[in-house]
Amino acid sequence: MARYPISPEDLMHARAFLASPIGYHSPGLQRVLNRMRGPHWDRRYVLLVVERHSRWRLAILPNARGAAIEPVEGVEYTDLIEAERDIFRRRWFDLTGQDLDAALAAGGV
Amino acid sequence: MLPVVGYTDRLSLAPGESLDVMVSSFGAATYTADLRRIIQGDTNPEGPGYKDQAIALDLGGERVAVAKPFTPGSCVVVPGQGVLSRLGTCTLAAVILPTRLGGLRRILALPGCAELCLDDQGHLCAVLAGRCVLRSFGRVTLNHWHMVALAHDAASGLLTLTLSPDAADGGELPEPETLSAPAAWDATAATECLIAAGREGGALTGFFDGKIDRPAIFDRVLPPDRLRLLLADPAALARQSSLIAAWDFSQGIQGTAVHDLSPWRLEGRLHNAPARAMTGWLWRGQELDWKRRPDLYSAIHFHASDVHDAGWAVDFRVTLPETLPSGVYAIRLVPDGDEDAAYYCVFALRPPRDRVSGNKVAFLFPTCSYMAYANHRLGLDVPGTEIGMGRAVEIDRHHAFLQTNPGIGYSHYETHDDGLGVFHTSRLRPIVDLQPRVKAFLGGVGSNIWQFNADTHILGWLDAIGQGHDVITDEDLDAEGLRLLSRYRVLITGTHPEYHTRAMIEALRGFTERGGRLMYLGGNGFYWVVSFHAELPGLMECRRSEAGIRPWEPGHGQFYHAFTGEYGGLWRRNGHPPNHLCGVGMTSQGFDLSEPYVLTGAAADPRAAFLMQGIGTTPGQRIGAFGLSGGGAAGLEVDRADLAQGTPPHALVLASSVRHTDIYLMTPEDLLDPTPDWTGTQAEIIRADLTFFETAGGGAVFSTGSIAWAGAMAAQGYDNEISRLTQNALRRFLDPTPFDPP
Repeated sequence: MARYPISPEDLMHARAFLASPIGYHSPGLQRVLNRMRGPHWDRRYVLLVVERHSRWRLAILPNARGAAIEPVEGVEYTDLIEAERDIFRRRWFDLTGQDLDAALAAGGV
Repeated sequence: MLPVVGYTDRLSLAPGESLDVMVSSFGAATYTADLRRIIQGDTNPEGPGYKDQAIALDLGGERVAVAKPFTPGSCVVVPGQGVLSRLGTCTLAAVILPTRLGGLRRILALPGCAELCLDDQGHLCAVLAGRCVLRSFGRVTLNHWHMVALAHDAASGLLTLTLSPDAADGGELPEPETLSAPAAWDATAATECLIAAGREGGALTGFFDGKIDRPAIFDRVLPPDRLRLLLADPAALARQSSLIAAWDFSQGIQGTAVHDLSPWRLEGRLHNAPARAMTGWLWRGQELDWKRRPDLYSAIHFHASDVHDAGWAVDFRVTLPETLPSGVYAIRLVPDGDEDAAYYCVFALRPPRDRVSGNKVAFLFPTCSYMAYANHRLGLDVPGTEIGMGRAVEIDRHHAFLQTNPGIGYSHYETHDDGLGVFHTSRLRPIVDLQPRVKAFLGGVGSNIWQFNADTHILGWLDAIGQGHDVITDEDLDAEGLRLLSRYRVLITGTHPEYHTRAMIEALRGFTERGGRLMYLGGNGFYWVVSFHAELPGLMECRRSEAGIRPWEPGHGQFYHAFTGEYGGLWRRNGHPPNHLCGVGMTSQGFDLSEPYVLTGAAADPRAAFLMQGIGTTPGQRIGAFGLSGGGAAGLEVDRADLAQGTPPHALVLASSVRHTDIYLMTPEDLLDPTPDWTGTQAEIIRADLTFFETAGGGAVFSTGSIAWAGAMAAQGYDNEISRLTQNALRRFLDPTPFDPP
């Protein structure tokens, strides 16, 4: 199970992620992402394809085989990069209880 | 979701031959069917565009869509032959290693008479006429052996249940738990014996998860200590006059028949292909190869999730016209007039069996790899997939279907619900990811397509450049070997031809060493050993022993295939490293970004001049800094040249990728000492090598070592330097002039 705790010192990595969600990441950001995307969740955020290459719904995928995928009401994306940012913010809140944008606006690291 | 789903009885057939189509409704009221030639399946708006071709063939108009269920679960079915219905005083016994509980799991059943079961808490139960009449106080321990028995004494009317755990290593044998009660026993309706299942209303049910060893029936009541001695000694067991049946799973391991040691000859047959050649009750590591001590491999591991043949009734039969050219086709099923919801039953039309088509180019349709990945759930069941992708998992309609229909059966990438790897995969069921127009999990930023759909980038390229070709499948190659390949001058692979049988590997080697030209347009090819079942067409086995990027291991002592006796695992460890065949071998994977190749000094070698024509030869020049699969030509799964792994010394590495993201990591077979510098930005060994070499027989090999290569070929409408370089290779490879190694 995951060991690395997300802390205020990771706000600099969050800032880097929001600037460039996909691709080359610093070791620190990669560690944050590994924590967020790792196997410790019972329910994971996924993107339901509504229209291939243009529309996605946010959904929750339970780990159990046969369990229903649960769409998150009212959350749709037309841009995969924005979807990544939104999922990152949600996981930041899930792991820290903090609103990421508020923390960054408050002058986090 | 998918309103209608189907499959065909074959993935390869010749013109003039027929195939059966099986269809089930998952919401559709009606459907129509037509025949399409699949040319380019990627729907990415940045790509060349989806393309198929309607084939004028009347498939019968609108049909009613009938719902048909998935019915997974394996067992042994033994016809009673009039013997079991006469059972009065008797003992039913077996040695079991349960691996999962839930509901009522049958161990031995005489439907209509009695069942020996485990309940959902692991208590042993005796069930008569659907009612549990005895239940043990003790419970089984998962993954441990237990002897279990149910006896009936006709004289006293007593039923006796025995649960006898095996001793832990070094410990004393625990006292068996035995309990009795009077019960009304009537075997007259017992027309069969089921091992690992029961039957209700005609349907098999209550499947057992775990190993069963030495199931037996006697015509007298036997105490636990006597049973233990008898079951441990098959030779003595076979001589017991009290014996009615004793099924010896160590005999005929490669087949589907289940042998009875007794003179009554109550032979059984496997249902849904459970795993044989599994270590039994008395295995303690004495031998690792079941062929040398089959007596130690006397267990079968059953699963409630095993699937061989979905067994749906045939909806219609299609005969392909004699004049139809070889290619990749699909029976398209359109539910309720909604073309966007169409389901594609994809198959290959191979060239005629008895005459050559005239085409000198063949595309090897990698049906083994399609079967290995069939209905894979990597983005559903494997949380680490999102880390490997470097982005969120996309769930397309067929993924949602898989999530809600696990009964469709698993791929070689899953474990069964008890954690054992899925050794068997089958094409006799719908394969919902073997379709055009679907997204994937591992295809990289951009198109995000995988396996079949990614391979249509190559089929589309052949169409775009007007190159006539035949399509042959892995199963054809396995069956016909070099006889089939010898029709062609050039063989082109798919993007990810990962799984091969020995016959296929040896045919490919024979081809390149006898003048054939191989264009390996993919990555992580020729990696895993698989084998086909001799009696069950369409069933394939893989046991991922020792090394390789693998989601599971087969378990101690279980590395040899049951189907063929071959040692499972990597071809690299079985005398056929991919580097020897194609110059490169698997070195790393990551599913976010792909990269360009950078030309080496070898690009200017005169031997490679035909390849680099119109491309350039300046060392350091980048090629393929674009593509639909991750944005570059080198990526997803990448291969390196390596003399130590069999790359021919004269092979030219024309270009290499020089950096990947840190999602790309070293393969376990190369990572002997796991230090933290084996990542894409740090380790030079993590790269794709564009490789060319001539063979001694006048042949040649061109290898891209990258799954993303075809995605770059397809960029800009197939009009780019990667496409041109590939055409350069194809043009010279078609020229019969022999190549000369330096």
